[in-house]
Amino acid sequence: MDEQNRFLIVSLEGEHFALPIANLAEITVPRAVRQDANLSALFEGMMEYRGTMIPVADLKKILKIPGRTGRSLLVMKNTKGTLGFLVDTATELLTSAEAPAPLPRGLISGSQKTYAGILRSREDLVLLLNVDGLLT
Amino acid sequence: MMNNYLVFRLSERIFGVRLQGAIEILPWRRTRPVPLAYSYVEGVMDYRGTLYPVFQISQLLGLSRPGPIGFTAPDEQPPKGKSIILLQEGKWPFGISVDSVVKMSVLQDPEGQAQAVKGMNMQFVKGMQYEEDQEIILISFERLFHAG
Repeated sequence: MDEQNRFLIVSLEGEHFALPIANLAEITVPRAVRQDANLSALFEGMMEYRGTMIPVADLKKILKIPGRTGRSLLVMKNTKGTLGFLVDTATELLTSAEAPAPLPRGLISGSQKTYAGILRSREDLVLLLNVDGLLT
Repeated sequence: MMNNYLVFRLSERIFGVRLQGAIEILPWRRTRPVPLAYSYVEGVMDYRGTLYPVFQISQLLGLSRPGPIGFTAPDEQPPKGKSIILLQEGKWPFGISVDSVVKMSVLQDPEGQAQAVKGMNMQFVKGMQYEEDQEIILISFERLFHAG
């Protein structure tokens, strides 16, 4: 199956979100995240990952979801480099036969690039996050 | 011109929306919350293969305070009678959550400029009609999709 159709499902306060497997480097735990005054408030800090310092952001903070900072770290690659996203848990791998559906009009401002679409998983709708648009 | 309207109750007032095209009335159900959506968005739902944004029109009409932009999960246990009405504006399908559906009625379309109603966002109000001494506020969602 094409990697384009495979997604990692993560949980944030019980709601499920999807991220493209193609962007995922590793699932790990955050270690020694150091605060950095040069980063925006969305970031928890910088962390060493395989000899390189990467920024670590709390996905709940980005999405304005209240709750404790996630304990699981996704190392993701986007067009700007490598960065880490904290989530509660990674729950499953989803292989979708369908392409993600676009978000219906009227939900969110056209200037928001947070989502890449919606996936159907069993009876659920799962919002597909846009790894390149989350921090813009 | 006379037309069919769906009449519903919301925040202790009676509203009517003109029936155009296919329409469904569903018992209220929890929709999928969408973080960072407009504050009046309750969520998104899949109904027979079509994705519908569902709006809290009490907020659109200014009848309730807007919630924070972000993650606003609705109540799991809604009041009895609460419903979701699925509508279409142009080619855009959408749903609205209402306290209860009252009836379908044939009403005169409003003419001219609607008079202001205290405390209500008038951009969605087309006018008033009266039936059996009951004031019915006729609303339209033509402007709903222009912003997005």
